Amino acid sequence: MDFTNIAFYIFAALTVGSAGVMVFHRNVVYSAVGLLFAFFGVAGIYVLLAADFIAIVQILIYVGGILILLLFGVMLSQKLTKVDVRTESMQLVPAVVVVGGVLAVLLLTISSTPWKLAGSLEYEPTTKAIGRLMMTEYLIPFEIASVLLLAALIGAAYIARKN
Amino acid sequence: MDYSSIIKDNLISLNYFLPELLLTGLIIVLVIADLFLKDERSPWLSFVALAGCVVVLLSVIAQFDLGSRSLFQHMLVVDPFSVFFKLLFLASAIAVIFLSIASVELAGRPVGEYFTLLIALTLGLFLMASSTNLVTILLSIEFVSIVSFVLATYLKTRRRSSEAGLKYAIYGAFSSGLMLYGLSLLYGLTGTLNLYEIGDVLASRDSNGMALTLSTILILAGFGYKIASVPFHFWSPDVYEGAPTPITAFLSIGPKAAGFAVLIRFFNVALAGEPANGASQWSALPELDWPMILAVVSAITMTLGNLVAIVQTNIKRLLAYSSIAHAGYALMGVVVLSQDGIYATMFYLAVYYLMNLGAFLVVIVFQDLLGSEKIADFKGLAWRAPVPAIAMAVFLVSLTGLPPTAGFIGKFYLFAAVIKAGPAFYWLAVVGLLNSVVALYYYARILKTMFFDKAAEENSISVSPYYVTLLALLAAPTIILGVYWAPLQKLATNSVEFLRAL
Repeated sequence: MDFTNIAFYIFAALTVGSAGVMVFHRNVVYSAVGLLFAFFGVAGIYVLLAADFIAIVQILIYVGGILILLLFGVMLSQKLTKVDVRTESMQLVPAVVVVGGVLAVLLLTISSTPWKLAGSLEYEPTTKAIGRLMMTEYLIPFEIASVLLLAALIGAAYIARKN
Repeated sequence: MDYSSIIKDNLISLNYFLPELLLTGLIIVLVIADLFLKDERSPWLSFVALAGCVVVLLSVIAQFDLGSRSLFQHMLVVDPFSVFFKLLFLASAIAVIFLSIASVELAGRPVGEYFTLLIALTLGLFLMASSTNLVTILLSIEFVSIVSFVLATYLKTRRRSSEAGLKYAIYGAFSSGLMLYGLSLLYGLTGTLNLYEIGDVLASRDSNGMALTLSTILILAGFGYKIASVPFHFWSPDVYEGAPTPITAFLSIGPKAAGFAVLIRFFNVALAGEPANGASQWSALPELDWPMILAVVSAITMTLGNLVAIVQTNIKRLLAYSSIAHAGYALMGVVVLSQDGIYATMFYLAVYYLMNLGAFLVVIVFQDLLGSEKIADFKGLAWRAPVPAIAMAVFLVSLTGLPPTAGFIGKFYLFAAVIKAGPAFYWLAVVGLLNSVVALYYYARILKTMFFDKAAEENSISVSPYYVTLLALLAAPTIILGVYWAPLQKLATNSVEFLRAL
């Protein structure tokens, strides 16, 4: 097993483990911290996939932006930190059956399918290529996203402000 | 790699992108105009929005002469199929602006954001109908969803409206998550995001049926959420009830039609064989029986929608379930993989626009007059306010699918397309027929309440001439198209062509 493989399994365990903490913990703050490590794990996997830019963006936006915002929200609203956030209806057996079934189908599919593989990875900076693609082949998705963000901003400002 | 040729292609594509550019311009004009208005509730912005929509309408009509063309490195397409849907979206947007101007519910709310978001929603719908790449499909669906969340919450001080927005957002996030997973599986199978290339790759080699089926079902979650089909319909009654009624009317037409547009394009381009030499019927990929999946979804959707509609006491909730049922009917046309089927679905959606919008307009009128959405409060309304009651009768008869209304012709084409496709789907036609009978029951019950039950009060209610005009404008074509539907038939026949291969 080479270094990349070992690193992959470490990051994967980190992601899945912290995602588990996030889902199962009673306290919202702990869940948020679980989410933090899950984001880091995913960022690590991006690095292994030679997607350096996405990895940095993942940390900058998800950890630096969204998660901090979420934590602030939780901490500023005092009631939330003490509330048991788990739902009242616990249907353990049906949930295990359904989730187990879905997992089995997914595992079977993933292992039995001849996926189209990307080939060998080259570790080199990707920002230049991404920038070029955004201005050429992916121009329209880039522009759609910008109008989408404008509309979302207007909407968010409307909902947040007092009348 | 030669970037200059790509840039050149993008620049040429801009010429075929005029309606979308105009809509984007209109959004910006509205935002800026809002800044200069002293009074946030001034009606001027609605006139700006209307004028803008008319200009866009002209540019869309001009696109009919363009034929089919792939734009921006095969991200989007302009073809008669997308132009037809763009017309439908614009017609919905214009009608909803008219409904919003007079709406009592929206009175006193700031109009700047409202019309900006309404136009943004229209832009999102335009993009949905013309997307030919997994990235643009996902982005445009998200675009429509996110703007819809805000519009559903527009009466934010009202509890119901906030609840509607929140539920919409949660179900929306869930279904886009599923769809995104499905799209990633499809990308993993084919290694491309372009629908045409996906179609080629899947047709040229034996792919694994299991992964393909799984990814299709997951992708269907996203489309099903937009057209409100079972099992992704849960949001619709609450959202329809809580959102401002003009927005409810828009949500029941625009995103639903756009969902059908993207669904038809996705399945027929990526997952179906090409029709041999202009044959009017074609077949799905051998390893994936998606017509059967869609047929089952269609049958369950219409049955559940109709059965649950029976017990509803709130007219907006009833129309929500009826709208679910109609998604089931319209899906029948997609199941049969034929020119006739797609034509029937398009025709039905256009007719559905008229009759459903009309029904919601009557709901708005009654809401303003009575302050109630309860069907029980409609007792004897036919004698107190005859004009909206008679218009409602026309729309409900059309929704049921009885002659001499446009709804009958729409349903007739759908059933004809299913029967013509052969005995494999006869059962679906039977289910559809039985459902129409169930639908008759609850639509007729509203009519009975309005026409035969005794009113609590006797005084007549006057309806403003503005509403009378709008009602007439929607009711007249609903009847006329039931007798003389050639114009719509011609439009739909000309629009059934979409770009199948590069």
